Amino acid sequence: MCNQAYKDLLVSYLYDDINDMDRAKVEMHLRACEECRAELDALRDVRVDLGSWSPSLPDLGFRIVRDAKPAPRPSWRAWLTPAAGLAAAATLVVAAALSLAHIEIHNGPDGFTVRTGWSAAGSGVTTDSTGPIRRVFARDQLLPNDQINPAGLAGIAQRVDALEIALRQSPASRSAAVLSARASDEELIKRVRELLARSEMKQQGELVLRIAQVVNAFDAQRKDDLARIQANLTNLQGTVTKEAAAHVDLVNYLTTAGKQK
Amino acid sequence: MASTDEELVARSIGGDLDSFNQLVLRWERPIYALAYRVIGREEDARDVCQETFLRAFRALGGFKGQAKFSSWLYRITLNLCRDWIRRERRQPLAQTPEGVDLVELAGEAEDTDSVEELVARKEIGAAVSKAMALLPEEQRTAIVLKEYHGLTFQEIADMLDCPLSTVKTRLYQGLTVLRRQLERSNVTRLKDHHV
Repeated sequence: MCNQAYKDLLVSYLYDDINDMDRAKVEMHLRACEECRAELDALRDVRVDLGSWSPSLPDLGFRIVRDAKPAPRPSWRAWLTPAAGLAAAATLVVAAALSLAHIEIHNGPDGFTVRTGWSAAGSGVTTDSTGPIRRVFARDQLLPNDQINPAGLAGIAQRVDALEIALRQSPASRSAAVLSARASDEELIKRVRELLARSEMKQQGELVLRIAQVVNAFDAQRKDDLARIQANLTNLQGTVTKEAAAHVDLVNYLTTAGKQK
Repeated sequence: MASTDEELVARSIGGDLDSFNQLVLRWERPIYALAYRVIGREEDARDVCQETFLRAFRALGGFKGQAKFSSWLYRITLNLCRDWIRRERRQPLAQTPEGVDLVELAGEAEDTDSVEELVARKEIGAAVSKAMALLPEEQRTAIVLKEYHGLTFQEIADMLDCPLSTVKTRLYQGLTVLRRQLERSNVTRLKDHHV
């Protein structure tokens, strides 16, 4: 009877989780089998020892709390994040770039306007091939924000470029307004050239004057240096003359002394 | 008169948070003790205990009362312990409770216990903890559920989804290993104090 099935019955008996029929069966076996009686006693001792293992129960105090508070609004400090700083810096850079490139973006009643270059706001649609470029997008050409896509924008840009090229290559298509604008530009350029010429002449005069001043200063300095060198040479010559005389006197003295001996 | 688990569960499902917190208060210690004895680490047992109640609260709508609420909680706890053991890939730590053991034991002890018996109880508790840590998870779980939580073999079998005979075999094998380990240890067994 001491097989695994019996061991299972023994465990059931140990924990008193057994029906009456199996209980009677086990008790009858235990009366006959000393080995099983010893094992049962040993397992009971283990159970006693198991009773001494009790965890120290901490103060748990768990509670489920309903989160009734709304999510806190981010304070102004939340904006002081590195990302926000980078975004601000990027905005400044873009603004500076637009300012340098003199790009103006205008959304007026006549449509959405992007103007590049240094042309006046009131100039014509285009000037000549070297002049600034103004791109005008009619309001009905614009897409709603949610329908704008890169491909569409690229297509519009291509169409505008093609239009500009066509305008540059076909003088006949230029309007009178364009021609008058060109004439006024030529007059302006002429005046600018005159101003530049005057400015150049004035600058040349100033340059000559500066050069003369430098030459005079250099000449005066050179004269001073020559005079100083001359004085030094004179002093040096006097010293050499004195030393030569002393040398002659010494030679004479030695000659005289030798003759006397 | 205190409400039964079933009544508190019904009220909790109806949105009464206080009823669920009464269930937490009632079961947090047994759940913590179960987790501690299975995984052997106080901090992790506390986490498992907390997670058990959170999961139970979230899944309360799916609890149909087909099992006792306590059995349902035990199942959640054991699943979390199994996840922990799998995640950590290690045997439970044989962690001996420090500090107020003697005081706690004195509180739990019977009036007839002497100081020597309290000390022996502490030493044997540590030896049991070490021996339990050596057991395979299945045997350890079966012993914990039977020995410390008083579940029937059938309840354990239902909870672990295994045959009744498997539960008994695991228990027998586990107890046999414990017996051998405790006999090898140098601690004075409690039975010797009662001789």
